[in-house]
Amino acid sequence: MNSLSISNLSKTYSNGVNALQNITLDIPVGMFGLLGPNGAGKSTLMRTIATLQEADSGSVKLGDIDALTQKHELRKVLGYLPQQFGLYPKISAEVLLHHLAVLKGITKQKERREIVNALLHKTNLYEVKNQNLSGFSGGMKQRFGIAQALLNNPKLLIVDEPTAGLDPVERNRFYNILSELSENTVVILSTHIVDDVKELCTNMAIINKGEVLLKGNPLELINQTEGKIYQKTIHKNELEEYKKEYKVIAEKLFLGKPIIHVISENNPENGFISVNAGLEDVYFSQILASSKKKL
Amino acid sequence: MWYDIFKFEIQYRIKRPDTYIFFIFIFFFSLAGVDFVFQGIDMGSVKTNAPIVIAKAMAAVTAILMMVTSLIMGVSVLRDYQYNIESLLFVNPIQKRDYLLGRFLGSFAVLLFVFTGLLLGFTLGEFMPWRYPENLMPFNFLAYLQPFIIVVLPMLFFGSALFFVSGALSRNLMVVYTQGVLLFVPFLLTKSIKNDFLQALLDPFSLTTLTDMNALFTTAERNSTLVPFTGVLLYNKLFWVFLGMLILIVGYFKFNFSTAKNKKPKEKKIKTIHDLTTAANENLKIPIVLIQYNFKSQFVQLLQLTWFYFISICKQVSFWAIIICALIIILINSINLNITYDVASYPTTYLVIKELKELSLYFFVIILIFYSGELIWKEREIKLDLIYDATSISGIISLLSKFLGLLLIYIVLILSLIIFGITFQTVNGWYHYELDVYFYGFFIEFFPFLVLYTFISFFFQALTNNKFIGFILVMVFVILNTVSEFFGFEHDLYKFGGSGLDSYSDMNGYGHFLVSYFWIKAYWIVFGILLLILASILSVRGTETSLKKRIMFGMQRLTKPMLQFVLSVLLVFTLLGSYIFYNTNILNKYESTNDKLEFRADYEKTLKRFEYLPEPKITDVKLQVELYPKTRDYTLEGYYILTNTLKEPIYKIYLQKPIASEINLEEVSFEGEALVDKQYNQYGFYIYTLKKPLQAGEAVKMKFKQRYTTKGFKENDSNNSVLQNGTYLTNKALPTLGYSKEYELGDTRIRTEFELPPAKGMAKRNDKTELTYSSTGGNADLINFEVTIGTDKNQKAISSGTLQKRWTVGNRSYFHYKTDKPIVNQYAIISADYEVSKSRWSAKNDRLATPVDLEIYYQKDHQYNLDRMTQALKLSFDYFSTNFDSYQHRDMRIIETPNYIEQAESFSGAIPFSESNEFMLNIDDQSDVDIILYRTAHELAHQWWGMQLQAANVQGKNMILETLAQYSALMVMKKKYPKEKIEQLLQKEQEVYMQAKKRYDKQEVPLELVEKQDYIFNAKGILAMSALQNYIGEEKVNLALKRFIRDWNNSNGKLKSKTPNYPTTKELLTYFIEVTPVSLRHKVCSLFENTKSNSNIIFNGK
Repeated sequence: MNSLSISNLSKTYSNGVNALQNITLDIPVGMFGLLGPNGAGKSTLMRTIATLQEADSGSVKLGDIDALTQKHELRKVLGYLPQQFGLYPKISAEVLLHHLAVLKGITKQKERREIVNALLHKTNLYEVKNQNLSGFSGGMKQRFGIAQALLNNPKLLIVDEPTAGLDPVERNRFYNILSELSENTVVILSTHIVDDVKELCTNMAIINKGEVLLKGNPLELINQTEGKIYQKTIHKNELEEYKKEYKVIAEKLFLGKPIIHVISENNPENGFISVNAGLEDVYFSQILASSKKKL
Repeated sequence: MWYDIFKFEIQYRIKRPDTYIFFIFIFFFSLAGVDFVFQGIDMGSVKTNAPIVIAKAMAAVTAILMMVTSLIMGVSVLRDYQYNIESLLFVNPIQKRDYLLGRFLGSFAVLLFVFTGLLLGFTLGEFMPWRYPENLMPFNFLAYLQPFIIVVLPMLFFGSALFFVSGALSRNLMVVYTQGVLLFVPFLLTKSIKNDFLQALLDPFSLTTLTDMNALFTTAERNSTLVPFTGVLLYNKLFWVFLGMLILIVGYFKFNFSTAKNKKPKEKKIKTIHDLTTAANENLKIPIVLIQYNFKSQFVQLLQLTWFYFISICKQVSFWAIIICALIIILINSINLNITYDVASYPTTYLVIKELKELSLYFFVIILIFYSGELIWKEREIKLDLIYDATSISGIISLLSKFLGLLLIYIVLILSLIIFGITFQTVNGWYHYELDVYFYGFFIEFFPFLVLYTFISFFFQALTNNKFIGFILVMVFVILNTVSEFFGFEHDLYKFGGSGLDSYSDMNGYGHFLVSYFWIKAYWIVFGILLLILASILSVRGTETSLKKRIMFGMQRLTKPMLQFVLSVLLVFTLLGSYIFYNTNILNKYESTNDKLEFRADYEKTLKRFEYLPEPKITDVKLQVELYPKTRDYTLEGYYILTNTLKEPIYKIYLQKPIASEINLEEVSFEGEALVDKQYNQYGFYIYTLKKPLQAGEAVKMKFKQRYTTKGFKENDSNNSVLQNGTYLTNKALPTLGYSKEYELGDTRIRTEFELPPAKGMAKRNDKTELTYSSTGGNADLINFEVTIGTDKNQKAISSGTLQKRWTVGNRSYFHYKTDKPIVNQYAIISADYEVSKSRWSAKNDRLATPVDLEIYYQKDHQYNLDRMTQALKLSFDYFSTNFDSYQHRDMRIIETPNYIEQAESFSGAIPFSESNEFMLNIDDQSDVDIILYRTAHELAHQWWGMQLQAANVQGKNMILETLAQYSALMVMKKKYPKEKIEQLLQKEQEVYMQAKKRYDKQEVPLELVEKQDYIFNAKGILAMSALQNYIGEEKVNLALKRFIRDWNNSNGKLKSKTPNYPTTKELLTYFIEVTPVSLRHKVCSLFENTKSNSNIIFNGK
């Protein structure tokens, strides 16, 4: 199976923002998580891979296909679900899927009907296939999005923040479909939700401000951080002091009180207790490190 | 609070580039505003900067710019919804009143700023180089400011109120785009209101209103005084401003100050509830699909997508709104078949097509401009573009399918129009369905126009990547392309789209015009294909939108086969262009309008000195004509006998070949030989010196051969005399003697441009030379005429004279005509595939007189009015031969000619009538005037007034020829119809006269000195003659005319035979005075000698 290799990909917008800086990634078949805060450059990277945006330098290759120059070839094997999209309100799911199937080159009517029906079943939209898309809920719309992405049996599937705004049940359903596909497809999932990656991905990368901070297998990455994470429940007004004294990588509320996570080679004592590292800790420690570096 | 919103609105708009784009667009459009609105309209002596002209032009331009008003006013509330910030906005403690008031006033202030461009543009327009100083009065800023305030501002207010409210309530962008142009619908509707006052009151653009106001003034007043803000104009403005306020109030109450757009979504949500009831079939395998990119699969994609886009337009509410508006317009205005004097034509197919096209054109253009933008932006507008762009569809297929989808819309609309047309014909009792003519009329004449402009619209949308600017650029392009003609961009090779097709004729179809039309349309359509490819390169795919990036991105898409295709299209384009150029500029001579004018100016400058030199007169014409209608060639061989009627010998012959590059004059030879003294080949003017001078009374035979050769096709071919069916040559197509005044430029303004003295007009009544020239010119007095015409076997050839013999050789037919008596030098040679209707007239009171054979040559299926014509001929012969003199020939023929020429003429023994007029009129005896009788009698009367008796070629000649023919026709009408009908006719003529009089009142000349003003010699003429006849009685008038013809007829006139001079109105009037009692003489004189007499008195006079 073909893997996707990205090397030295850079892009600077006309307003001077360095959206991508020397990104190099090898993405094998399977689910790949792309983790980063809002504005990290995830969408730019994904649009560039999806042939929708130009890079200034570097290359993107899927097997033999150069995504930057052989756009048409890549699009034939590409499934793309953008972060935001709209649907024609006045036509039904089935009609729009047929339309998109034609756009993707599935011109034999019988084949088209088969795959559209299969995907409608797969995404559990079969019952509502004749309803106008204007009545679709967020989850249905997102599932429709994945159905259209799968129309052409893609070898490369790019899904950009697909679970934003979905309730937990819908999210699970959505991930089930993705993980099934990832058995023989390169699936790139971008998200800022750490749990998504932990649950699904065999490989991942963390990017921030256009740079790859870390890449690898989520479990291995967690292992590297294991034993360095400590946690303490504090008062709200103590937060600033702690931030000065420790490397506070995360803060969250539990029953209304802030809990902070710090990273430290040694046990900081002072009421901190050691906790198991999660991917979240890996993520936040990297983000913290990269923003410190910038300063 | 409202003031903050007002300020915010203005600040927001100040930063937007479209505000300035609109301003600049309006400014430049207004610069040429007056010229644009009054282009091609004869304004008489009203100046182009008269207040009324400015007011009308401003009103019209504002009407056209209503779309801009809509774009500015319509979006001010809609914008909040478009960017989904309404929920953020409306939770703030803003009062609905403040919000709406602030937004409305803010946008209106911006609108006023943008429209100062109109005031500025109009004002500066006066100083543009294309305005002629002689058409201008001294500059007066008030003449611009006043109409801007009283005409434009109320219109803007009404438009603003309407568009603001409809934009806010509908929250639909398409409404905003189209409502500006749809305002024309009520305007067009007011056109069908019969009541003048109501029509003027309800006209939203106050165009009719201003016209009505205008009618109250004289030219001088129109030029000098500002448009008074009183009367119907005031009421009109009050009405529309009031309506605007009403709309604002209603809008205020209807506007729902909450986020929910309307209640519908709630219903829809109910449907979605049972979404998650069943589990997905997770074990289902996704089938493998085969994705192929070969020709066939791309073709299937193209078809599928075309259909998809077609359906998507059909689903738009706005589309149906436009269609319904169009339907209302077509149903209410209906198909107007009236041609002249309120008489309708039969609903022939080409007439119905012409009407339907005129009624629907506007809507087609709206659909073209808006829906091409809509389709290009379809995916992006609902944000499906990223999904769409990541699919493997090729850019050109996607664009092409949108293009074809729109064309399919046109096709369906056209088919509906055809069905409507056929239904209309059926309802009107016309069952002669011509589907082929419908097909040609729409799909050959009309469809290519739509296709070409759709290419343009797609291209501009792709290029600008901004829908608004795209729309505006398309309109600018349309205007520029039209206007460029006046700046010398005329050649079909560089005037986008080329010229249209001349009218369809039942006789000649589209004739030879079709060939060049096809080539030129093919050329432009290939160009359009290139534009479409360019558009696909420039189209946005993905998120890069800067033009540079798009070009870079787009070039990548130019794969090798694509590049080969582009190159081959380019090659085809060049080849077509070269072929057209070869035809129009190499095989034929290309002349721009300016070249033609210059040629005529040079002709006059070079040759004027040869005018009025001693010349012989043509006394015999014998011709052998061979017509080849299929190839549009002919040869014409024969001789003139030239007789010296002067007292001195003639040494030189000045010969003028008809000026046309197709015509070659070969083998000119004179009996007794002559030397070519000088030749002006450029002008086809040759001077021969006779070896033996022609002594007084002597004659010489001049042989010549003339050949007309059609080579390829010409640019903008206007030749409608040498045709495949309906060739119509007159003596003007033959060599003439001497300098030909006909080629002189007539328009004084153009003459000054070429440094020529002002046109002199017709010669005065004391001009010694022209008095000896008859109205047909100085070339001949009377001629013996003999012609043999050969033509295609299926055609019949007709000329003056009696048919001597008719025979066929192979596939050619020959017709030999010879006149029994000398005729005036005015004859025609006509050939077409005719049916013939024959009858005979004999004088009732004179059994010995020779009967006259009457023949009507007509196009198959045009038999409707044959009986009327025959009867008209008979009635006229009865009246004229009794009251004037007997008819001089043995034959009379009416001949149908193609509708390119709409006027009827008269030759010795032959009257050509146009197919679009007399032959297709559908006269309702209850309500209509019998125009066929009227016209037939008029033309037949020329056999006396013009043939038996010729007028001198000086001022007033048209009173002798035309006014007397009008009188004769009136008398025939009286014989057949009751008084009411006659009054109806005179009423009609009076309207014609009064309307023209208003336009030209400064220049009105008395009848006796009339030149080419047809409203005087025809319309006023018949009124004056009718009055004369009321004063002194029919017998007296006829007695005068009988004496006139007795003394001045050109074969044995008592006075004519003693003088070389022809009679003028001076002579004619003496005959009238002679039969008038002394007490009435001054009244009679004033009819013809004065212009002051009120024409109402003429009409009612007793």
